[in-house]
Amino acid sequence: MQRRPRWWPKFTSTLRSTALTARIGRVLGIMIGILFLTGLLSHYQYEPWRWLPIPARPIWGYRLTQGIHVATGIATIPLLLIKLWSVYPNLFRFPPIRSFRHALERISIAILVATALVQVTTGFLNVLNWYGFGWYFPPVHRFLGYVLVGSLLLHIGVKLPDIVYGLRARVAEGDVLTEIPWSENPASHSNAGTLPDPPTPGISRRGVLTAAGAGIGLVVITTVGQTVTPLAPVGLLAPRRWNQGPQRVPVNRTAEQAQVGASAMAAGWVLEVVGPRPYTLTLADLDSRAVHQARFPINCVEGWSVGANWRGLSLLEIIEQAGGSADSRVQVDSLEPVGYNRSFVEGPQVSAALLATHLNDERLDLDHGYPLRLIAPNRAGVMNTKWLGRIEILS
Amino acid sequence: MKAWRILLAIAGLLLLAFGVFRLLTEIPTGSVIKVAIWLLAALIIHDMVIAPSVVGLGWTLRRNVPDRGRKYLQVALIMIAAVSVIALPMIVLRGSQPPVKALLLRDYAANLALLIGLIAVVTAASYVVRVVRDSYQRSRLPGMEKGGRR
Repeated sequence: MQRRPRWWPKFTSTLRSTALTARIGRVLGIMIGILFLTGLLSHYQYEPWRWLPIPARPIWGYRLTQGIHVATGIATIPLLLIKLWSVYPNLFRFPPIRSFRHALERISIAILVATALVQVTTGFLNVLNWYGFGWYFPPVHRFLGYVLVGSLLLHIGVKLPDIVYGLRARVAEGDVLTEIPWSENPASHSNAGTLPDPPTPGISRRGVLTAAGAGIGLVVITTVGQTVTPLAPVGLLAPRRWNQGPQRVPVNRTAEQAQVGASAMAAGWVLEVVGPRPYTLTLADLDSRAVHQARFPINCVEGWSVGANWRGLSLLEIIEQAGGSADSRVQVDSLEPVGYNRSFVEGPQVSAALLATHLNDERLDLDHGYPLRLIAPNRAGVMNTKWLGRIEILS
Repeated sequence: MKAWRILLAIAGLLLLAFGVFRLLTEIPTGSVIKVAIWLLAALIIHDMVIAPSVVGLGWTLRRNVPDRGRKYLQVALIMIAAVSVIALPMIVLRGSQPPVKALLLRDYAANLALLIGLIAVVTAASYVVRVVRDSYQRSRLPGMEKGGRR
C-alpha cells in the first residue's frame, strides 16, 4: 500500500461505522423505492395506456400515493445528508484510484450521490413553486429517477457484502469507518475477530440513529399537514395551508397566471359540446343543470390535497346528450390560451366526473375555474381542467 | 450472494443507461447542460462545503465540550439540522407566490425558531436529569469514583 501524504485528511472519530451506515442506508433505500413507485404512479396519471385507464376508485388513491411521494421526498433530504455524513471518509481513500474497477465504482457513486441530491432538492423546490433551475421539471425528474434508482441498484450490488456484514453486526460493535478501507485496517472487527466495542465518547451510534429519527419525525409531522388535513394545526413547516385558499381550497394556477380573466368572466360565455350531436350550454343552462353533488379530494402533484364538496353537472349526461356514452374518450379544453390547458377523461372516470359550478357551497371562485371546471376522483389536480370552454367526444 | 450481486449490478446498469438515454434524447440540449451543471454543483457543494463544515463542527465540539454534555448537544444539533434544511428554502421563498395559492404564507423563520427552542428545551431537560441522576448515584455509592459508571 502506498503511503499517504502527511496532509491527507484523517478521520479519527469512532462514531461512523459500517453497521450504522447499513442501517441508515436500508431506510434510505426503502424510501427511494417508495419514491420511485409512487413517482411512476404519478406519471401514469399523465400518460395512461389506453387499454388501462385510471380507475375512479378509491377516490383518494392519488391523494394517498402523491401525498406519500412528497412527504417521503421531504423526509429523504435530511436522511440523505446523514447517510452521506456517515460515509464521508470514503471520499478520501488513498490512493484515490486503485484500479480500473475502482475508478468505475467511484464514478457510479458520484452519479448516485449527485442525482440523489439533485432529485430531492429540485423536487422540494418544485413543491415550493420555484422553477429557477430552468428546465421543464416533470420529464427530467422522471429520467433522473431512472438514473438514481439504476445507480442505487448497482451500488447495492457492489456493496452487498458490506451491507450484509453491517446489518448483522451490532451497532455499537461494527467496524469503524475511516478513510482506510476495513480490509486494510488490522484493527477492524472483520479482520481481528471479536474486539471490544470501540469507544464513542459523546453521542453514541445508537444516539445518532435516535436523533436522526426524531429530527426527521419532526420534519414529517410539521410538513405533512398540507395533505393530512387533521395535522394542519401543527404544520409549522407545511408549504401549503389548505384553509387559506379561496373557498378553503388552495389554488395552483391563478386566473391571472392563466390569463383567462376576461374570457372566463364574459357574460356571453358558452360551453361548446362537440360530438355526433353538437350543442352549446350557456351560463343560464348551468344553473338549472348543476344538481349533482360529490365529495372529492383535490390532490395536487405537488403533494397538497384537501377534500371538498363539489356541485355541478354530470359529465356523462352532457356527453350523452351530444351522442357520447360512458365508454367515450372525452377531451376537455380550457379557455386558458397557453400552458396545461387540456386533459382527457376516459374509462371509469367518465361516469364519475363532474363539471363543477360550485365548491364548498359557493359559486366557483375565478381562481378555481369559474364558470365551469372538471373534477373527477383519483385524478391528479392539474388534470382537473379549469375555465372550461369546450368538450369534445373523441370516440 | 454472487448471483444477487451480478443481477443487481446488471439491472442497475440497464436502468441507469435507460435514464441517461432518455435524458439525452428527449430533453433539449440546453436543459441537459443545466442539469449537468446542477449535478456537478451538488457534488461540489456537498463534498466541499456542507460535509467539511459538519466535520469541522464535530471536531470543534470534541475539543471544547465535555463528553457527557456533548452527547446531548449533538442530539440537539442533528435534530436542528434536519428541520433547518427543510425550513431554510421556505424562509427564503416566503411570500414569493400569489396569496390565493395558500403557498409559503407562514412565518417560517419564527416557526423554525420555535422548533429549535422546543428541541433545545427537551435535550437540555434530559441533560439536567442525567446530571442529577449521576450525582445522586455518586452520593449513594461512595465507593464509586467520578466517572466510574461509564
